[in-house]
Amino acid sequence: MNFVVKCYLLDGKFSEQNPDNFAAISHIVNANRRALYELPLPIIIEMLSAMGKKIIKNPHLNKIQGMTYLSLWLRKKNLEQICRINYGNLSYPDSFSKVENRFKLTAQPRGVVCLWVAANIPNLAIISIIQTILSKNGSIVKVPEENKDVLLDFLQELATVEISYDDTNYSAIDIVKAISVVSFEGRNHEISADFSINADCRLIYGGSKAIQSILALPQKDHCETIVYGPKYSFCVFDHAFIESDLFENSLEKTAKDIASFNQMACSSPQVLFFEKSKYQLQHIGERLGGYFANLPEDLRIQPTDPGILANIINIRAKYLLSDDKSVIASDDLSWTILIDNDLRLEEPIHGKCIFLKEVDSVDNVTELITRKIQALSVSILDPEKRENFALEATYCGVDRIVSPGTIHDYDLPWDGILPLSRLVRWTILK
Amino acid sequence: MINLDSEINELLTKSPYILEDREKNQILTGILKIQLENAVENNTHIKNMFSKQGIDISSITKIEEIPQIPVQMFKYFNLSTCDSGNIVKILRSSGTTSDNTSMVPLNKKTVLKQMKSLKQILSDYMGNKRKIFLVIDHEGINNSVSEFSARTAGVRGLSIYAKDTYYLLKEENGKLTLNEPVIKEVIEKYSGKDVYAFGFTYIIWSVFYKQIIEKDISFAFNDILLFHSGGWKKLKEEKVSKEFFSEALSSVFNTDTGNILDFYGMAEQTGIIFVDCECGNKHVPNISQVIVRNPYSLQPCAVGEIGMIEILSILSDSYYSQAILTEDLGYVVGIDDCPCGRKGTYFRFSSRIEKAEIRGCGDTFKE
Repeated sequence: MNFVVKCYLLDGKFSEQNPDNFAAISHIVNANRRALYELPLPIIIEMLSAMGKKIIKNPHLNKIQGMTYLSLWLRKKNLEQICRINYGNLSYPDSFSKVENRFKLTAQPRGVVCLWVAANIPNLAIISIIQTILSKNGSIVKVPEENKDVLLDFLQELATVEISYDDTNYSAIDIVKAISVVSFEGRNHEISADFSINADCRLIYGGSKAIQSILALPQKDHCETIVYGPKYSFCVFDHAFIESDLFENSLEKTAKDIASFNQMACSSPQVLFFEKSKYQLQHIGERLGGYFANLPEDLRIQPTDPGILANIINIRAKYLLSDDKSVIASDDLSWTILIDNDLRLEEPIHGKCIFLKEVDSVDNVTELITRKIQALSVSILDPEKRENFALEATYCGVDRIVSPGTIHDYDLPWDGILPLSRLVRWTILK
Repeated sequence: MINLDSEINELLTKSPYILEDREKNQILTGILKIQLENAVENNTHIKNMFSKQGIDISSITKIEEIPQIPVQMFKYFNLSTCDSGNIVKILRSSGTTSDNTSMVPLNKKTVLKQMKSLKQILSDYMGNKRKIFLVIDHEGINNSVSEFSARTAGVRGLSIYAKDTYYLLKEENGKLTLNEPVIKEVIEKYSGKDVYAFGFTYIIWSVFYKQIIEKDISFAFNDILLFHSGGWKKLKEEKVSKEFFSEALSSVFNTDTGNILDFYGMAEQTGIIFVDCECGNKHVPNISQVIVRNPYSLQPCAVGEIGMIEILSILSDSYYSQAILTEDLGYVVGIDDCPCGRKGTYFRFSSRIEKAEIRGCGDTFKE
């Protein structure tokens, strides 16, 4: 086999190697995960929380989009809450605990988790690694070349974290030693198959094609596979909300939701539906355009693939040439607002290209929901009406109902999955 | 008041690369503005585009201000700018990257101007004499009446100087192979004579060249001019550079590498081809202009900066040919000072814009 794998982190050492196969990497990670396993969960949370504080001080890391949010996400309270929601009881990952006086339960790590991380979100690998750490698994991360430095800088910093607890010193190097970072050509079937067969659990992010091809790879019989597949998000506003004082602020937040990650995330809104109100859609579009124009420079102008730019040029032209459609856009291709009244979802263009549509009632939108809708930003003024709408929308397939400004918050469950509970084996003692 | 037809005809009778860029821009801008008025008057889609952007044609002062239409729009809209009764032909270009078909409506006047333009450009490279024309493709490529691929366009366009045409390939069960009896006849009758040839670059390489080498056939066409176009993406994948291609083909024909001429063109701008000069640059004829635009800002790029190629043309009054933004990347090499002596902008093609491949979780809503 022509084995072309780059390994950037193994056994706590940050140096590039070209291993012959994944078995050797898996062997080392598997041996090192014992030390991670023996760290009590509260200690792991303390160390990750200390790392959250370090991010802000690290000039390499704090410049990257999403890292400020990550440092907040790593707050001790948040991590504890995540573990509570996922495990039900914080003591399960550390020891056997009684369940309703019938038997004892513990959450054992699955072993070595192989992660396929997509390229669209720079800190996606970090967020995924935190989950494998909180479930005390060893990890081998296949990281996109363009994002590898973000992950490696993070792990290098994490390796320096040390804490004292009850007179005992703990070092996060024990966490880092259970992680390996690799990259290889995903289209290479042989290498991908070798990677897959070494996994006790597979954690996969990606578009449809990537997901299907990874799922078809050979795997161990006991291997668990967690898939974060392709998803789509959009927003709805009811007329009462549009005419309320809350609307202006929500419109500004929605502009930021669209702009984050250059609209490439599964949680990025692609269409905004507005219930008929006293405001013309064109007027709302112009107000939204004002917020796009005033975005901070790093959100307004983001590197964009030439293929996406060509798509933006084409969709702008289609709307300009058509009857009954209109366009509000920047002179350059930094943002585009496309207005029409066709009641449908639109194929994502990305690069801050948003479709605005007017509907008679927000209830009309539920018929458009598919099982691929990840997040729905719902601005309905009446709380009861909002909850009823949310119930119907989630029944139809939506995984998350959120408010403007929170669409990218990394809530767990995500995509309808409580990942930590799937990253462990639930074992009983009677 | 400009008399459009006489102005354009005058440009078409001049040597095609005689105008300096500044002078050309001034002449073309005046003509283009009149053509835009006509386009807005005769096509509601174009009228929509101009009115939604608040474009006042009379206030256009520079050629780069002419509103461009992306080439893909020919697949979605009827961009005819003349009376439907005057349309004599609709080019349907299948293209190479999409299933949709471009529709380019032509009236008699436009067809005539396109032919004149092509003749003018080709004469600059091969003189005015008719010659034997060798097509490195199969005869069926020129039979279709409804489809008009880049290959068909090339064969039909370049046959303008053909005394007699020979197709060097044949198609059997969907596969292209050498048409050996025809090749034999061509070698026997025309070796050492003045001939010219055309083929789709990738077909020349993958079929013609490979089979010619395999069968150890060689030609003696010292003065041949081989025009070729298209398919560079596949050749790049095979690590075949333009230089390597030229050397390989020149050795097959026993001619100089300078006689292997790559050109750039598109069905939506039929009548204009941008042929390599001896310095390897593509020149823009009098009736056309090329602007390379930054794909993000859409502003004209500086010399040497890679961007999207826009082709402006005054040839058509039957469809919006005035400014078409392609999905090709290239860069301007210089203006008015190519060592070959041709005036105006000269540029090079770099690549097609790759279709966006979304690598991640943000995706379609369709299940």
